Amino acid sequence: MSLYLRQIGVIVWKDLLLELRTRERVAAMGAFAVLAGVLFNFSTDRSLVRPQDMAAGLIWMTIVFDGLLGVGRTFHLEAEDGALQGLLMSPAPKDAIFLGKALSNFVLLYAVALLVLAVFMLFFGLGIGSSPAAVLLSLGLGALGFVALGTLFAAVSSGTRMGETVLPILVFPLLVPMVIYGAGATGRLLAGRPVAEVAGNLRMLGAFALVALAAGAALFRFVVED
Amino acid sequence: MSIIGIRRAGIFLAALGLLGLGVVYWMSFFWVSTEASQGIVQRIFYVHPPAAWTSFLAFGIAALTSGMYLWLRDERLDWAASSAAEGGMVFATIMLITGPLWGKIAWGTYWTWEPRLTLTLLLWFVFVGYFMVRRSTDNPEQGKRFSAVVAIVGALLIPFIHLSVVWFRSLHPEPVVITPEGPSLPGDMLTTLLVSVGVFTVLFLGLFMLRYALEGIRHELQVRARRAAA
Repeated sequence: MSLYLRQIGVIVWKDLLLELRTRERVAAMGAFAVLAGVLFNFSTDRSLVRPQDMAAGLIWMTIVFDGLLGVGRTFHLEAEDGALQGLLMSPAPKDAIFLGKALSNFVLLYAVALLVLAVFMLFFGLGIGSSPAAVLLSLGLGALGFVALGTLFAAVSSGTRMGETVLPILVFPLLVPMVIYGAGATGRLLAGRPVAEVAGNLRMLGAFALVALAAGAALFRFVVED
Repeated sequence: MSIIGIRRAGIFLAALGLLGLGVVYWMSFFWVSTEASQGIVQRIFYVHPPAAWTSFLAFGIAALTSGMYLWLRDERLDWAASSAAEGGMVFATIMLITGPLWGKIAWGTYWTWEPRLTLTLLLWFVFVGYFMVRRSTDNPEQGKRFSAVVAIVGALLIPFIHLSVVWFRSLHPEPVVITPEGPSLPGDMLTTLLVSVGVFTVLFLGLFMLRYALEGIRHELQVRARRAAA
């Protein structure tokens, strides 16, 4: 078991180290987050709606689109010199490779999600609400569910001729529960509603993330075999 | 059963289904009594729920055979999965067209985010993705595995999608057939609905078997062409 965890840890560390040194994905995703905040700001007519009423939905859509941008490139890291084959031939089981990849994506996406939150608080003049910890939890559980599906289907899409263009079609229909519960929870928390009101949402977000992670870990081997 | 036998059974069931469809139309237009509060528009009810049921049955078969394909790697399971998925797309499309047509008159709007309509729309898109990944790999074996993974993940997340869209909003008529107190539908309406469900199921099974046999024949042709070339 400790070997299994260490294998996951090595993959996470490898990916994050590469990211720290190249800063390719994190720079692109960070810039995307800020620019999306700017565009969303100009797309809301302040004489029609209060910006803070729309902010939670826009935060979640920014995370979804930004996540797609970053997660879609999960396996581009290993595209050169047969590095993916090397990784797959290593003694680490396929599900450990999947979980390592998903967790490194999670670290990246959660960092970006926090940036998105900060950007929208700044641009839309939002407060953090009554419970900052619950806001951070809702974003974290959402990001976890997202990277589980995103990593699995990034492996699928990078095996097709369509590449990343097919990724949103595979992921969006399945992200509906995450967006409903996530935007619902974040929106109410930012509006200052009590945590008890969104406890059900948070539980569903957690259950969604767990099922998606388990499904990804179990099915990843069928995507990358041969 | 041989491929030819399956094809014959498919032709028989599809013909029976088409004939039955004529009976369903006759029953729903001329035989069954008009519903009191909704009037004539309620007659679309004899097409809409049967199409919905059939599409869920088809997608269920597709997900199940996809899982078994990944496990056993029998080509025939993949033929069954893709054939069922195609059938499911057809009946889901019928459901998605008839629902808004009825909704425009009964609810006053073509589209609402009603849970069951939303779930069918999302499933429809899951299977759009299913066929997209299937057809865009250089190695067909890979396409089969990819599409099987899509179908299984879709099936696993259905409970979440359903619960979340119900939580989001519900407007749909309450169930009138499968309720704890037994059917609340008048006799002739229930008969027409049940006949229609039976006919749709038979029609689907016929088309499913025909489509499956087509895959089998295509496979046989490839084997023979390869043998002739060797």
